[in-house]
Amino acid sequence: MSEEVWRRLLTAAGALFLVLFSLAPFLFMLLVSASGRPDFLTESVPFSVTLEHYARVLAAAELHFPRYLLNSCVVSLAAAAAAVLVASLAAYALTRLPVPSKMALLFGVLALSMFPQVSLVGHLFKMMSALHWINTYQALILPYAAWVLPLSVWIMVSYFLQIPRDLDRAAQVDGCSHLQVLARVLLPVARPGLFAVFLLAFIFCFNEFMFALMLTRDAAARTVPVGIALFEGLHGETPWGTIMAASAVTTVPVVAVTVAFQRHIISGLTRGAVKG
Amino acid sequence: MRRRPRARAGWQPGLRPWWFLLPLLLLIALFILLPVLGTFGTSFHEDTAFRGRSFNGLANYLHALRDAGFWQSLTFTLLFVLVSVPLELILGLGFALLLDRALPWRPLLRVCLLIPWAIPAAISARTWELIYNYQYGLANYILRSLGLIDAPINWLGSDVSAFFCVVIPDVWRTAPFAAIIFLAGLQAIPRQLYAQARVDGAHFLQVFWRITLPLLRPVLIVALLFRTIDALRVFDPIYVITGGGPGGATTSLSLFAYDYFASGDFGYGACISMWLFVIALVLALIYVRAARFAAEAT
Repeated sequence: MSEEVWRRLLTAAGALFLVLFSLAPFLFMLLVSASGRPDFLTESVPFSVTLEHYARVLAAAELHFPRYLLNSCVVSLAAAAAAVLVASLAAYALTRLPVPSKMALLFGVLALSMFPQVSLVGHLFKMMSALHWINTYQALILPYAAWVLPLSVWIMVSYFLQIPRDLDRAAQVDGCSHLQVLARVLLPVARPGLFAVFLLAFIFCFNEFMFALMLTRDAAARTVPVGIALFEGLHGETPWGTIMAASAVTTVPVVAVTVAFQRHIISGLTRGAVKG
Repeated sequence: MRRRPRARAGWQPGLRPWWFLLPLLLLIALFILLPVLGTFGTSFHEDTAFRGRSFNGLANYLHALRDAGFWQSLTFTLLFVLVSVPLELILGLGFALLLDRALPWRPLLRVCLLIPWAIPAAISARTWELIYNYQYGLANYILRSLGLIDAPINWLGSDVSAFFCVVIPDVWRTAPFAAIIFLAGLQAIPRQLYAQARVDGAHFLQVFWRITLPLLRPVLIVALLFRTIDALRVFDPIYVITGGGPGGATTSLSLFAYDYFASGDFGYGACISMWLFVIALVLALIYVRAARFAAEAT
């Protein structure tokens, strides 16, 4: 009996540690973003709640923050949509059509994620400069889509493999073309998978930092992670309240989406990793 | 709708599959393979924004071997992998074992694990930067409140503490991620095995060593491989938190190469990123070999 008690205590302590460990920095971010002074911890001033940092982040023109948010959303949505589309087509061919050396192709695609981002970024910069695409959306959308494709293809393939072949055979007999089979049979059945790929691709693109840092030069073209990373005060004093408010404005929706769709995300992640 | 059955050209093998693969192959060729090959080519050139491009053979590679900055960032990167990856995997395994038990609040705990991973690393790094802050930081506040230190510590000021200042955010962000992968692996282990072991009177440590760990091994190896490759190219938290300092002590190879690109020296930056790629490749091959060897041995 006493072993059981110990076990329970240990489990509870572990669970408490887990919650504190994963949430503490996030809560600290929220706390500072809403406090009147950044030094509330060390000075004996009463903690005062204020929304001025949020107001500044959303309204101050020199911070460009709403613009960063818009840029991030446009780029991530477009890249994730492209990745879903391209990955579905590829997964259809890889699971339903006679492609020579499928496995080699699939592992070849996976091996691409071996390349460190930094081994791409220099040449990408040259390419985008030559095309005069620096500071444009397409300069980020296209590399992002390519960057998330290996994972997207692997997850889509794993979903498509689970769909019984009888379903698409029946559609074939009815005279559907490949594209029709894909659009009317496979994609509707694999909708959770489609959604998982889209969410993961979106999160990866939204979080991407190095490409965005190198391929955007104007403040107006930056994405949120770059914008926040480069926030500095005018007079050498770092505006922590503003930075934390900007971080909170960005991460609260991300966290909300993650919480709302956790099942899709976890199923996508585990397919991508465990079965890979 | 009326359609001609069967006889459509599309159902015959031939070029058709390639049309479906074309967008994938095109995107990958243009935005992954071409840049990598371009970088590879550039690594044999002197290529700066100001003096233009000229072939210089292996000069960049030989220069790297004599470059103290390169060795410093190589050492840091390997140390970073050596410290952060085991921490991440052990902590991740602990969380996964915890969540594998029938807990009433399991869904809540699982969501908590997703949060560090979902927040953009460059953004959470800013929060960590503030946590380490000399004046306002949470770290100094907690330690002073507990009476562990008398005066605030300049965490980013010394090599050793700055090292841990970039390790901790990475562990924070990726240990939960590892836990989710491990949890999926744990839940695939048949429950009867545990029940049987309990009937046989096995201690829980014995169950862990004899059942859980061996059955989890494939997932562990995959996680180890992916985490190692990922940790080798660490960039975001370092760029934000220390900027590579103090004195280059926390400059990862990614940051070292990036800084050359950003300042317009493409040849040397390309060469450093090729070194990084080769190191990742060698480590991956060693892991795959070791995994195969271990699989054959049992």
